Amino acid sequence: MPSALEDRLLSGNARAAARERYESTPSGRERTGRYWKIDLDALSLDLTAFGPDAGAVTIENSNPRAIACDLHTAAAEHGPLLARAFGTTGAAQTKFGALTTAFAGLGAFVYIPADAACDDPIVVTYDIPAASNVFPYTVVLVERGSRATIVERFEGGGGAFVCAAAEIVAEENAAVTFASVQGLAEDARILTTRTSRPGRNATIAWATADLGSALSAGELIVAIEHPGAHADIATLFFPRGNQHVDIVSTIEHRVGNSTSETLVKSAATDRGQARYLGNIRIAANAQGSDASLRDDALLLSKNAHIDSVPALEIAANDVKAFHGATVGALDQNSIFYIESRGIPRNDAERMIALAFFEPALDRFPTEKLRQDLRTALAAKLQ
Amino acid sequence: MSDQGLRIHNLHANVAGNEILKGIDLTVEPGKVHALMGPNGSGKSTLAFSLTGHPAYQVTQGSATLDGEDILALPADKRARAGLFLSFQYPAAIPGVKVANFLHAARQAVRPGDLTPSKFRAMLFEKMELLGMDPAFMGRYLNDGFSGGEKKRLEMLQLAVLAPKYAILDETDSGLDIDALKDVGESVAALRASEEGQKAGFLIITHYPRILQHITADVVHIMIDGRIAKTGGAELANLIEREGYDAIREEHGVIA
Repeated sequence: MPSALEDRLLSGNARAAARERYESTPSGRERTGRYWKIDLDALSLDLTAFGPDAGAVTIENSNPRAIACDLHTAAAEHGPLLARAFGTTGAAQTKFGALTTAFAGLGAFVYIPADAACDDPIVVTYDIPAASNVFPYTVVLVERGSRATIVERFEGGGGAFVCAAAEIVAEENAAVTFASVQGLAEDARILTTRTSRPGRNATIAWATADLGSALSAGELIVAIEHPGAHADIATLFFPRGNQHVDIVSTIEHRVGNSTSETLVKSAATDRGQARYLGNIRIAANAQGSDASLRDDALLLSKNAHIDSVPALEIAANDVKAFHGATVGALDQNSIFYIESRGIPRNDAERMIALAFFEPALDRFPTEKLRQDLRTALAAKLQ
Repeated sequence: MSDQGLRIHNLHANVAGNEILKGIDLTVEPGKVHALMGPNGSGKSTLAFSLTGHPAYQVTQGSATLDGEDILALPADKRARAGLFLSFQYPAAIPGVKVANFLHAARQAVRPGDLTPSKFRAMLFEKMELLGMDPAFMGRYLNDGFSGGEKKRLEMLQLAVLAPKYAILDETDSGLDIDALKDVGESVAALRASEEGQKAGFLIITHYPRILQHITADVVHIMIDGRIAKTGGAELANLIEREGYDAIREEHGVIA
């Protein structure tokens, strides 16, 4: 029985086309090697086992002017609004965004009308059943002059495969903060595609935290096509055991007078592996752009590994672009300083490692969420 | 009691395979102030780090006891809990750790559960006022972006908050202007006048005698080339002020 989602946005043909695109599009991460630890094209996914609507979503919203509902309800009741954002930011053009689109069903839609300040976070929680294949899709449309904060969470998922997408459209003068916290079971696998489009003088701030799952591979794109727009990305991840994290973020400055700030704080312990590739692209006509990329990695064991690769492509000549990257272990003098105040070495190390994440934690909304993240990070440091 | 004091006997220590301390004998009695003076490179800071347990400093011979307890057998944190404190010459900057949280964690480690949070807070603000510190300090990250004077004030605040049995002040005077130096002197005096601190012993490491105008030393030791070359009263500091370390070098036949 076709639902409103099928009728309005995703006919059988559209799903088939997305599936086709998934199969024909390279991930861009098909080679293994120094910077490419996993071949995402060799995940050998069995598409015949996949279907829409596995998993459950709960949505909390206390802003009276906001609409926040599941994707089917959105298609049935707010179809024209959903269509203004769904599939419009390029998620479906990437390999795994196409896969999410092909099996879309579970999901959430957040709509903020013009000139509304929705400061209470809207919380979208995906509860992933064990051993399931799940395709969560979060769509956000914020109209001109409005503010919104959205928190997305992934929970559960023992042995599950999750292929998730999030799209944000922020119109002129809008400001959106979107935080995504992945706390899946440590044998889950998750692929994420996050795409976004800020309007003139709009701000889109992404904050992502990868704490769970055996494998997390993510692609995050902000395409700036209107002057005055600002993109903000804060990313933290912390693989331990045999966890593997692979994140690519891309900010495209396609017009001038746009700004972006990317901050990555990562740590790895045990045999944890991670790779982060940070792309900043400033087009020839994007004069007056200002982009910064800061990436710090902390190695807590000798078998842990993090590759950090900042990649700046700048075609304009009147821009500011900064990038800085560090990879290192805990500073022995800092540990001794704390120990010398009576605090045992393990606690001193934990204190410094947690402190290391603070600048990224600062970019997550609400003290409660920050505290949850600190607790989760502390648990990983035990 | 005969085992009271921070008692250092025939202490030898290496840094990166080089012997820096070549047999130090020194006892700081409870309630006394000892000054340890000496030229750069004589091993003063090495003594401070060897006693407090920095992993880069290896003690190869000798002993050090704190009121009878062998501190060399303890890891650094337990030495602090036994009552030893070091005011660092170069305190580490640790972004992300707030001063208030750190001070509370340190006090809890050294004296578990002895103050309710509100009493701790009250004590903290009292000590900060004494040191002329702005309450906004508490929300800053540990030594991060601090000026030299702010770092030393924070070291003195930690000394006051932890109220150790024995405190080593490693060149706390270096880089301080006269007002900051006066505040350091007053905070040490306040600690010595308090109930917690009246029995505290101090080892004040300094290159220059001027800090001793603010903290009166009972005993002055001159360290040259990893050994105590001379021990005397406060007048020894005046001699150094007038004549420098060369007189003592010559007296001991040490080639500088």
